[in-house]
Amino acid sequence: MAVTADSIAQLATVEKSRGYWRSVGARFLRDKVAVCAGLVAAGLILMAIFAPWIAPADPLDGSMIKRLSPIGTEGYPLGADELGRDMLSRLIYGARLSLFMGVVPVLIAFAIGGAIGVAAGYLGGWVNTITMRVLDVLYAFPSVLLAIAISGALGAGILNGLLSLTVVFIPPIARVAESVTTSVRKLEYIEAAQASGASSLRIVRDHVLGNVLGPIFVYATSLISVSMILAAGLSFLGLGVSPPNAEWGLMLNTLRNAIYVQPWLAALPGVMIFLTSISFNMLSDGLRSAMDVKQ
Amino acid sequence: MSTPILSAHNLVKHFNAGGFGAARKVVRAVDDVSFELARGETLGVVGESGCGKSTTARLLVQLLTPDSGGVRYDGKVVGPEMPLKAFRSKVQMVFQDSFASLNPRMTMIDAVAFGPAVHGVAKPEARRKAQDLLERVGLDPARFGGRYAHELSGGQRQRVNIARALAFDPQVIVLDEAVSALDKSVEAQVLNLLMDLRRERGLTYVFISHDLNVVRHISDRVMVMYLGEVAEIGPAERLYNAPRHPYTEALLAAMPSLDPDRRTLEAPLAGDPPNPIDPPPGCRFHTRCARAFEPCASRVPVSYALGGGHVAACHLNTPKEDVA
Repeated sequence: MAVTADSIAQLATVEKSRGYWRSVGARFLRDKVAVCAGLVAAGLILMAIFAPWIAPADPLDGSMIKRLSPIGTEGYPLGADELGRDMLSRLIYGARLSLFMGVVPVLIAFAIGGAIGVAAGYLGGWVNTITMRVLDVLYAFPSVLLAIAISGALGAGILNGLLSLTVVFIPPIARVAESVTTSVRKLEYIEAAQASGASSLRIVRDHVLGNVLGPIFVYATSLISVSMILAAGLSFLGLGVSPPNAEWGLMLNTLRNAIYVQPWLAALPGVMIFLTSISFNMLSDGLRSAMDVKQ
Repeated sequence: MSTPILSAHNLVKHFNAGGFGAARKVVRAVDDVSFELARGETLGVVGESGCGKSTTARLLVQLLTPDSGGVRYDGKVVGPEMPLKAFRSKVQMVFQDSFASLNPRMTMIDAVAFGPAVHGVAKPEARRKAQDLLERVGLDPARFGGRYAHELSGGQRQRVNIARALAFDPQVIVLDEAVSALDKSVEAQVLNLLMDLRRERGLTYVFISHDLNVVRHISDRVMVMYLGEVAEIGPAERLYNAPRHPYTEALLAAMPSLDPDRRTLEAPLAGDPPNPIDPPPGCRFHTRCARAFEPCASRVPVSYALGGGHVAACHLNTPKEDVA
């Protein structure tokens, strides 16, 4: 049978258009490294959620005879810490606070910083200049210093640590949001929307947000590891989580005295921090390239 | 003459180019541009890159606010006498970059339905209208309605952009280089579509292009711009056959000809246009004009009406007795 124009048209009808997110998903699945990182990150999150069911022992229950038992001791598969508490259970429970301190400040900062940045970028002009210069002042402080300063002023505690980390992440997220929005705002589909007579709020909602949230979100996920490390740093300095709670940064701090006695044991919380931050980083890298439409 | 449907009155737009106080520099993108559009006519706008064509278009559709001057729709000043939102549905624009003019996250049907929805049409009805319009511009809504911009060709995207402009039921459409980026065969199809739509709906076009052949083909009248000013404006055939401004002559001489006896032997215009931050005194064209004479460097030429709606801003058109 001859291929007629009609049959070609029929074929084209069958081939339905893939939505944007579906094609992003397909590209993401082709990226082996990103998929592995995603699985590790998902595993860590599941571990945190189901800690009470997975952990073999109570993370707060110590036994003085078992202090600093090496890895592989009977009943203590990953050894015991300086107070004889089961290391494996503490690492599993530690994921809860560590991930919480990594994810929550970034999410709050994503909402606040994203809103500030999109507003500044869309409105442009002097609103943009003033907002961004104010944020630049905050941005000029090294993030560790700023987090320590705010936590120090507010005092130790999980909520204060959370607050200080949120403040630290608002300026960088707002800057990224502002630059992405500024570049989108110059495109002609925004001009066309303006020429339609739609209000600014409607244009931002229908035309800007869908095109800027992706890149901002990807940037924010790359901050999760930074947030975790900063939170660990705050705990290490005694400003974030306080003992006897299990948190990787705090565990690293309390075990540092044992580094000459049980170096492998003392390094375990660091390994967990490293594993989490690298998996979140690679996940966000993978998301970034999957969301690049030009590929 | 009846009231022009759209008219520009002494539009001025200067852009800041840095510097403060006395050292402040401005780009004189559009300087005192006035013209009128009669209902149903097509005005072609030509000129080199950077002559202010696109700025004029954006001023005309109120995407930019003029520093001075204004736009009237059907005799009413837009803003004080005519609400901007009402004006928006009467005057629409199609841009050059067909890809950048479509939201990459919106399906074609949503892109076209957005305009009516903004103007209070219920969503199902807006979508039905969008389907009809996609059909009208030659795209099967069942096939193309659910697609995204990157899944269409340049010509198809520009058809969607035309459908989007039509969704407002406008009277005037400003086409800013709307077919320039398309390849020749697609360009011809889109031009034919534009001409059909003009006849069907009694549309008025402002057709901006650097392609003089296309402008001649589609326009009733043509406006030539140079460095933010109107050099010459007149009925298309008259202007092409008997230009009265040396710049128009030079532009026409630069048109590629299919006739081997009319080869372009030397460049009709040398060099780039002067910097619009600091335009030359007198006639802005005199630095490149082959026929410049003594008043050109000092006196700004007035617009001489040459009859039949033909106007040129050149000292060569001064009546003889006035040259002292």
